[in-house]
Amino acid sequence: MRWLLIGLGVLAFMIVGMVFVGGPPPAIIVAPEAVFHWGPLDVTNTMFTSWLVVGFLLLLGFFVGRNLSLVPSGFSGAVEAAVVAFYGIVVQVAGEKNGRRFFPLVATIFFFILISNYAGLLPVNAVIGVTEPGHGATQAVFQQTNLAGADVAYIPFTPDTVDEADAHHFEEGETPTLDEDGTFSGILAPYLRSVMTDVNAPLAIAIFSFIFVEYWGLSTLGIGYLGKFFSFGRLLRGNPMGIIDAFVGLLELVSELSRIISFTFRLFGNIFAGEVLLLMMTFLVPFVLVNVFYGLELFVGLIQAFVFAMLTLVFAQTAVSHHGGDDSHGEEHGAAHTAAAEGH
Amino acid sequence: MTHHLRRLRGVARSPRTGAVLVGLALAAMPAVVGAQEEESGGIAALGFSLPGLVAQLINFTILLVLLRLFLWNPILRLLDERKKRIEEGLARSEQAATAAQASEEEARRAIEQARAEGREMVQRSQETAARLREELEAQARAEASQLVARAREEIALERQQAIQQLRSEFADLTIIAAERVVGQSLDRPAHQRLIDEVLVSSDFGADGATRN
Repeated sequence: MRWLLIGLGVLAFMIVGMVFVGGPPPAIIVAPEAVFHWGPLDVTNTMFTSWLVVGFLLLLGFFVGRNLSLVPSGFSGAVEAAVVAFYGIVVQVAGEKNGRRFFPLVATIFFFILISNYAGLLPVNAVIGVTEPGHGATQAVFQQTNLAGADVAYIPFTPDTVDEADAHHFEEGETPTLDEDGTFSGILAPYLRSVMTDVNAPLAIAIFSFIFVEYWGLSTLGIGYLGKFFSFGRLLRGNPMGIIDAFVGLLELVSELSRIISFTFRLFGNIFAGEVLLLMMTFLVPFVLVNVFYGLELFVGLIQAFVFAMLTLVFAQTAVSHHGGDDSHGEEHGAAHTAAAEGH
Repeated sequence: MTHHLRRLRGVARSPRTGAVLVGLALAAMPAVVGAQEEESGGIAALGFSLPGLVAQLINFTILLVLLRLFLWNPILRLLDERKKRIEEGLARSEQAATAAQASEEEARRAIEQARAEGREMVQRSQETAARLREELEAQARAEASQLVARAREEIALERQQAIQQLRSEFADLTIIAAERVVGQSLDRPAHQRLIDEVLVSSDFGADGATRN
């Protein structure tokens, strides 16, 4: 009985939210919007957010690194425990020696993506920003007012929306001409936006991952590492079956390069989809139900960070392992590879 | 801070980092150029942009280098140090345990020895006490018997004297009585001699001690 009442209350709350607190339909814009203009550089909101995240991580790292002690205690002890737990996983996968080599990159990837994703879940995202009059397909109607001498635009509680076809288009840099009732239509370009919803950020990390994996492979196996991709040995010796080797090498090369793309779009797709999901759910059912999706996104943010880091680790481990003609060896790595790829 | 900077410079100077940075630039080029070329195409809508990518690459480089310097390396060093300390501590505690066992053994032995010594001492003292008692008893008995003997001697002597005295008085009395009876004074020395003769021949006083 009690639970039934609570359930009914929550349902009523949700309906009240749907009916009375509906925001404007969210403008889903894939490319990050420029929010500051510093000379020739357009600072996009994801760039700005990533600086905040990097700054936060550096401060955290600096503070924790200075307060490390043999007997762990306090906040730095907690951070240290998290880092050491992650190090344990790395060592478990790559062994003590290689784990130490791989750890800085893998840990940086993991914690950067994790903090970026979680920062992207803060409610300050996609709420405060610059108004862009006349952009986008679906535009909210802003109410312009004057607050303490400064012009402030905001979206009122019961918003109107305008389709792009009906909207007045403004030129770049033009101040919006207000309608008689002090409104103009446009979209909101938020100052803060989840870093990984900008495809450049996952791409940058994927490039780093790729470069380090190839570097580790080359530095461990020497020039022989490239033999994995350019295996013309048997073909040059006149064995026609060498064509298979050459083809397999080509496949390896393609798969190696396509990792950058798969890395990029896995992370970008997951986090961008998560953001769209949150925006849409906030639009449709502003109360209660959206919290479930916030919980889901917390999970997704962690998993994606972990997957990116772990795949980098597994690729690095594969790259530094000897290949040669040892079939069982190759199979073993293939198995590890597939298991890790399917793990997410 | 300065030594951090020096280390930072050291990292930047190391050939490995140099190689990585060059590789980074080389790898970034095609991707960037590709993104630029596709700007007009459909993929540009995804937001690929050269400044964005470069900004993110720089971000990640800074993060990687500085976190490695300030967090990952200190934590790894700390782990090593902690591991070393724990190993040392374990070894030391093992040593301490062995030492403790040895000292316990020693203590037990010492206690055992002390106990044995104590027992021996008690036994010895008991023996001594017994011997002393015996000696004292013997001495006391000897003294007592000596006393008794002396007392007997003295008694015998006094008896002898008393007998002697009695005898002389008796002789006088006898003479006086005899004078009374005879009515005449006898020649005293001759008389005395007679009485002595009688007394000697009689039993009285000769071995009075036994007779008594």
